[in-house]
Amino acid sequence: MRERNLRRRSKIIRLLDFMGPFTLALTIILILSIARSAAAQETKNPLAGNAKAAQEGASQFRINCALCHGLHAQGGSRGPDLTRGVWNHGGSDAELFRTITQGVSGTLMPANDISDAETWEIIAYLRSVAPAKLKKAPGDPKTGEKLFFGDANCALCHMVRGKGGRIGPDLSRVGSARSPEYLAAKIRDPNRALAAGLMQPGMEWPLDYQTVTVVTRDGQSITGVLRNEDSFSIQFMDQAENLRLYLKNDLQKVTYEQKTLMPAFGDDILDDAQLRDLVAYLDGLRGEVAQK
Amino acid sequence: MKMRSILFALILVCALVRTSRAQVSSEQLDHATRSPQNWLTYSGDYSGRRYSELQQINTANVSRLAPAWVFQSEVAGKFEATPLVIDGVMYFTSPDDHGYAVDARTGRVIWRYDRSLPSRVIACCGRVNRGFAALGDKLFLATLDAHVVALDAKTGSVLWDVEAADYRLGHSFTLAPLVVKDKVIVGISGGEYGIRGFVDAYDTNSGKRAWRFYTVPGTGEAGNETWAGDSWKRGGAPAWITGSYDPDLNLIYWTTGNPSPSDDPSVRKGDNLYSNCVVALDADTGKLRWHFQFTPADAHDWDATEVPVLLDLNIDGKPRKLLAHANRNGFFYLLDRTDGKFLLAKPFAHINWANEVGPDGRPRLLPAATPSKEGTVVCPAAAGATNWMSPTFSPQTGLLYVVTREQCDIFTALPQPFHPGHPYLGSVYYKPVENKPWGALRALDPATGEIKWEFKYVSAPWSGALSTAGGLVFAGDMEGYLIAFDARTGKDLWHFQTGAPIIAGPMSFSLDQKQYVVIASGDAVVAFKLPD
Repeated sequence: MRERNLRRRSKIIRLLDFMGPFTLALTIILILSIARSAAAQETKNPLAGNAKAAQEGASQFRINCALCHGLHAQGGSRGPDLTRGVWNHGGSDAELFRTITQGVSGTLMPANDISDAETWEIIAYLRSVAPAKLKKAPGDPKTGEKLFFGDANCALCHMVRGKGGRIGPDLSRVGSARSPEYLAAKIRDPNRALAAGLMQPGMEWPLDYQTVTVVTRDGQSITGVLRNEDSFSIQFMDQAENLRLYLKNDLQKVTYEQKTLMPAFGDDILDDAQLRDLVAYLDGLRGEVAQK
Repeated sequence: MKMRSILFALILVCALVRTSRAQVSSEQLDHATRSPQNWLTYSGDYSGRRYSELQQINTANVSRLAPAWVFQSEVAGKFEATPLVIDGVMYFTSPDDHGYAVDARTGRVIWRYDRSLPSRVIACCGRVNRGFAALGDKLFLATLDAHVVALDAKTGSVLWDVEAADYRLGHSFTLAPLVVKDKVIVGISGGEYGIRGFVDAYDTNSGKRAWRFYTVPGTGEAGNETWAGDSWKRGGAPAWITGSYDPDLNLIYWTTGNPSPSDDPSVRKGDNLYSNCVVALDADTGKLRWHFQFTPADAHDWDATEVPVLLDLNIDGKPRKLLAHANRNGFFYLLDRTDGKFLLAKPFAHINWANEVGPDGRPRLLPAATPSKEGTVVCPAAAGATNWMSPTFSPQTGLLYVVTREQCDIFTALPQPFHPGHPYLGSVYYKPVENKPWGALRALDPATGEIKWEFKYVSAPWSGALSTAGGLVFAGDMEGYLIAFDARTGKDLWHFQTGAPIIAGPMSFSLDQKQYVVIASGDAVVAFKLPD
C-alpha cells in the first residue's frame, strides 16, 4: 500500500518536471480563478426575497448575532452596523455566507456553527434591512480630512492608517462600521450610548475606553484610558500615551468615570457644515491599507 | 517447581485483588468529612458545604502557598470540573466529557477516558462537564449527549453506558452525578430548548434506571394544572446542578431550572411547577416529599441552580434541620429541610423586581419587571445574582459564603415558536451600557441573611468557593486569580494568577501529610501546597 503511494507520487513529480514551474503556476491560477468565479456565480441565497425567511432570519439574528451587532443590526459595542449595505468582507450572497460561517481573521467576527438554512435566513434578513445601494454621506471629505488632522484635533487621540494618536479607537475602518448619523451624534455628544451589544451568559467584557484616574502613594494623580485591570493590578494608557502598570496596593485611590475622555464637539467648536465634512471623511474610511 | 511457584503467586495476586476493599463505600460517603485526605463527592460531602477539615494551610502560613504541579488537558473550553481524590489518585473530567485519573502527588496521568461525542451536541453554554461521582471501584460520568457512563476507577474502562434521553432534542448532562447508596443520581440540562426536565437514578452495578422524577408533572399529576394548556410538554425545568442528600431523612435535595421558554411566561400561564424549585425526593423511590418554589412563573431565566447547603442551627432557641440557598433571583432563603417550611428570605444582591418575599414564601413583585418589546431593565441579570458556582459553609465561622454577581440586563421580548432541539427563550437580553457588571464574595449569617463581609471582584464571577478548617475561604475570579481569604474578616491573604478565568470550584485533599488546594483554570488543573 505504502509502496504504491510512493510510486504514484513519483509519477506526479515527473509530470511536474515535464510541465515546468511556470506552466504549472499558470494552470493553478487558471483552475483557481475558474473555481472561484463558478462558486461566486453559483451560490445564491435560495431564500432571497422570501419575507417569511427574512422574518425567521430576524429571530436567528437576535440569537446568534445581536450580541455584537445590536438588536436591530445597527451596530453594537463590538460589531459594525449591518443596515447600511456596506460589506467590508464582500457583499455577494456567497461572501456573506462565508463571513458568517467562517468568520473574519484579525477581527472579532467568529466562525458560527449554524445550519446552512439558518445562515441563508440571516442573509435574507440582512438584505431586508440594508439598502441595495449605499447612500453617500453629504459633505466634503477632503475638508473633513483637513479638519481631522488639523483644527478639530481628532488625530491627537485617534489613528487613521497609522497616523494619529493611540488614546482613542483607531478609526481606519469606522466608515464601514458606523452610519453617518451615528458618527455625527457621537462627535456632538460622545457620552451618549448609541450602540448596544447583547449579553450572553458567561461572557462579559469591560467597558471600552473607560476613563480612570489613579492617585499614587506620593500623591501624583494620573488620568487615562483603562486597558485592563483585576482585583490586584491595573493597566491603563495615560494622556501622553504612556502605558501605566500598577499594583493596586501601591495606589492610594482608583476612580472610574463612566464617561469618555473625548470632549464634546458642540457647534461652537465645529459648525454644522464642518461636522458634515468631517463625517463625510470618516464615512469614507473603509479599512484600506496605507499607501506608500 | 519454579513454574508452579509462579502460578501459585499469580493465583495469590488475583485472589488479593478480588478481595481488595472497595475504594469508596457508602458509609464513607455518609461521613465524607471524616476522611479529609480524600474529596469524595462534587461538593466534598452530602451536605453541599464544600468544607474541608484540613488545617495545615491556615491564615498564618497561606501567604507561602505555591503551585505543586499543573496538569494541562489540552482540551479547549470551560474547565468546570471539581476533581475527586481517593487514596492519592485524582479523578476529573475536562470539557467534551473526557475523563482522567492522575497521580495526585505529581499530576501524571494514570489513565484517560476519551469520549467520542456527536459533532453537534446541543448545549446552551459550552461543552462543559463538572466531574465524576464515585462508589466502590467505579466512577460515574454524565455526558453532553445525555448518557450516563460507569468507568472502572483503576483502568478507565467502560463498565456500562446508558442513554438517558435523546440529545438531538436538546437534552444534555453537564453536572457531576451524586451517588446515594447503590444509585447514581443525575439531572438533565436543556431548559433553553423546551425539554421536559427530570432527575434520574441508575443502579450503580447494572446501569438500569431505578426511577425517574419528572420536574414537570404530566396530565393528571398534581402540579400539572400550573401550566396552561399543553405547555407542560415543553416546560423545561431542567435539573442541571448536583444536589445534596440527608442520610438521616433519606431525602435528596435537588434544585430545578427555568420553565421554557425562559423569558416568556405568557405562553405557559401559571406557577409552572416544579420549575425554579428545590424538590425533596425519597432517595429510594424518587417520590416527591415536598417542594419549594423560589420564582413562580419566571420571566428572567432564574434557575434555582445552586447546590443546596444542609446545615443545623438553633432558630428561635430550637435546633432545626435547615436548607440554605442563595437563589439566582437575588434572595437568600432558609427552609426547614424536613418539610420544606419557609423560614426566611433576604436579598443578598441588588434587585429591582420584587419588594420582599411574603410569609407564604412568594415574592411580592414590583410592577414593570416583565420583558417588553422596548426592553425592561431588570436586576439581577438573566445569569442571576449567583449561579451554579458552589457556595461554601464553614462550621468554624458559622458563615455561608456566596459568590455574587451584581449585574442587570435589559430583557427584550421575542416571542418564539417551538422547534424541538432549537433555542426556545422568548426574549433576548443585553447589558445596559451604563451598567458595568461586577461581583463579590459575600459572607452571610445563614440564620438572618445578614451580610458580614464582602470582597469585591472587578467583574461578575463564575468560580465556586471552598472553606477550610484552616480559617480560610478559597475562591477564583474571572481575571484568573485563585484567592485565599480570611474566613472571619474577608481579608485577602494570598492570590495566584492562574492565567485564565476561573469557572470551577476549588477542593482540598492531603497526601504524604501535605495539604493541597486544587482549582481548574483554562485547560489546566493546578494543585497548590506549602513549600517543604
